[in-house]
Amino acid sequence: MSIKLGTNDLAKYPFLNEASLYIKDTHFDLLEFDRSEMSFIINRSFEKIESFIKNNETRHYYKIDKFEIEILTFLASLLILKSASIDIITKKFALFESMRFEKYLIDDLKNSFKDETKRLILLKIFKEVFKIDVYAETKTIELYKIRVPEYIRRSILFHEQEWKLINRTVKDGYVYLDVSEIVRLFRNELSLLIIDKIKNMKSITFPKQVLIKSQKLKNYWDSVNKKTDVDIVNKKSVTPPCIDHLYRVLDTGENLPHSARLLLATFLLFSGKSIEEITEMFKKLPDFNERITRYQLEHLSGKTGSSKKYFVPSCEKIKMENLCHETNVCKGIINPVQLLGKRMKI
Amino acid sequence: MFFHNNDKSDLNDIADIPREKESALKDDFKDSKSHQNNQNWLKKNYKKYYFNFYANITLPEKIHLHEFGFRHFEGEKMHRHLSFKNSGELHAFVLKFAPSDIYCSSSLYSRPTEPMDKKEWGGSELIFDIDGKDLHLECALTHNYTKCHDCKSIHPGVLAKCTNCNSSRIYIIDVPCKNCIVSLKKEVTKLVNFLIDDFGIERSGIFIYFSGNNGFHLHVLDSDYYPLLSNERSEMASYLLGKGFKMETLGIKKTQGDKFVPLSKSKQLLEAGWRDRILKKLKINFYSSKNSDSDFSKQIEKLENAMKCDFQQMVLKTVDDLSVKIDPMVTMDIHRIFRLPGSLNSKSGLAKILCNDLKSFDPFNEACFFDKSKVDIVCFSPVSLLFKGKRYGIHEGNNHVPRYVAVYLISKGLANIDLKDIQDG
Ligand code: SF4
Ligand SMILES: [Zn+2]
Ligand SMILES: [Zn+2]
Repeated sequence: MSIKLGTNDLAKYPFLNEASLYIKDTHFDLLEFDRSEMSFIINRSFEKIESFIKNNETRHYYKIDKFEIEILTFLASLLILKSASIDIITKKFALFESMRFEKYLIDDLKNSFKDETKRLILLKIFKEVFKIDVYAETKTIELYKIRVPEYIRRSILFHEQEWKLINRTVKDGYVYLDVSEIVRLFRNELSLLIIDKIKNMKSITFPKQVLIKSQKLKNYWDSVNKKTDVDIVNKKSVTPPCIDHLYRVLDTGENLPHSARLLLATFLLFSGKSIEEITEMFKKLPDFNERITRYQLEHLSGKTGSSKKYFVPSCEKIKMENLCHETNVCKGIINPVQLLGKRMKI
Repeated sequence: MFFHNNDKSDLNDIADIPREKESALKDDFKDSKSHQNNQNWLKKNYKKYYFNFYANITLPEKIHLHEFGFRHFEGEKMHRHLSFKNSGELHAFVLKFAPSDIYCSSSLYSRPTEPMDKKEWGGSELIFDIDGKDLHLECALTHNYTKCHDCKSIHPGVLAKCTNCNSSRIYIIDVPCKNCIVSLKKEVTKLVNFLIDDFGIERSGIFIYFSGNNGFHLHVLDSDYYPLLSNERSEMASYLLGKGFKMETLGIKKTQGDKFVPLSKSKQLLEAGWRDRILKKLKINFYSSKNSDSDFSKQIEKLENAMKCDFQQMVLKTVDDLSVKIDPMVTMDIHRIFRLPGSLNSKSGLAKILCNDLKSFDPFNEACFFDKSKVDIVCFSPVSLLFKGKRYGIHEGNNHVPRYVAVYLISKGLANIDLKDIQDG
């Protein structure tokens, strides 16, 4: 059976292939964005980006418009971001946009247990976007399931105990997940997909209106980066929540994924801890090896090997790795080291 | 991989071979005449085995994509990163050199002979290692031996120090008993159930091998699991080991008043996996009291009184009982080379062999391929062995025993071949 997506689905999920096909079919030329009746699309796209970037706000954008408008808004946003080419902004946009899609997905999935057509559409989306077969269990229970290896590949990026395979329902080679769990599991991939879409746009002649907006974005970005330098000097030092969380995980003697170790190590080095002190902390890791840890810390600090120093990853990057535990203290910062206050020198 | 132990020496990369201590010990003996005699004699016997029983060897389907490794009777060095185009080539090699140990990678590589970073990994079987030493059995404390690194004396039982010279540089010679084998089989059965019921692996894709010494190796051929990387395999291992289990997974939570009640009714739970195992084992009826939290709490309290144990402790203990005692390092290491099925294990002279019927499998019969012709050995300690259904009471000093008993004791370092036997092989 071939499943046809409704226009409402395309409005909610404009990253799908069928949405691109729609644009192709209508022979839409990118330069048409310069036409006056298109300016509201361009403005809408820009406002959305701005709201994501400046206010960390997605709420206003949950309501969806006509599918043509949504598809074009998505396309225009990608164009603006491509033209601006600021990595951090691209990533932040991707993250917020994927959180928005996530919300639709959750609602749709919840309704899909009773509605087979809807279910088939969603499973098709999973197949197309994440290249994964998701199955629904609808007889006695309303759960989705995926194959064990597919689950593990994603879940090991999360370090919370409840994602560990042992705390899941595992049966006959499948892991059972409820709606919000399955969506959460794919959040990273959804945002990576959007980033890829932007990265893979090639040889484009940007419409003038797009260039104007992207310049605005660049100006904003420059101003923010200058400001942070000044801002920070007066702040008092706080432990970033993401780092605080890692301390706690470390204390329980649990293992930390590679990305978490990297974050903790670079952060501690940046904050002036010695290799000895950090090695001491890492002793709590179950697979601790003193010699290797020391070697790697020296490498990170730039003492050995290439002289390149590793910097503390940005909040965006940390969010992508699912290591962010954002609280109020994080407002307006782009890197956890900003919370170190006076010691910060960019 | 950052901060992970990734610079393992060749030694650590290989499942079930003498670790540092043992090989250091062997070093001491290397130059001794009797050690030389033992090695020469064993090599002759191994040659015969590979001549007569080469058919025991089971090769992976795409032999040319696997890495091979060998250890020889003449020296300790491990030879890795070798490959063979086909079975015939390997056969010729084995007959020519009669190696003391033959290893083959569980992984496939585009270029198996290159150094590790250039091999181009192409997936790996799942491997599980159940080793007697990880079961911490009580019987092992009495029937194993302690060998002293310094004065070379051998003492029955597992000791912390040499009773002869008080040195703590000792190592354990394991001589598994019937109970050891039975306990190992129990773990294997548990593992097989987990693999089928939880991981959905077909029984026909699970191959159970006796390791050739004191354990079992399970090789799992399921293409879904081939691409899993080291940390992903480690997650499977912790599942089997029962690591990190949370009470909430049972569908039970602790209230502020320290009572145990079912989680909110909206949480959907299936009777499967760990949850099901634990509830069944503790005989907790989850649904009979579904409508009343206090009924449920009473059920738990009753259980606590009967078992004289706090519920949380009870659950943790149950998880430990139900878990499979695998060596997680073996499962997660995708660059290891493993003893080749059908080859001899130089720790015992027994073969790593497929167990078609685990229940009836007797390693001291089915993994033993040397003949019963009598040879003379000098034994260092009294030993009692059950081989081919017959009990052998070996005493200290000269003994006239079947070849398979001699091979076993010499491999274990519990005896020397008697010189006069060298000439006639
Ligand atoms: S916002 Fe940045 S500092 Fe705050 S928790 Fe997230 S990553 Fe850490
Ligand atoms: Zn001694
Ligand atoms: Zn025993």
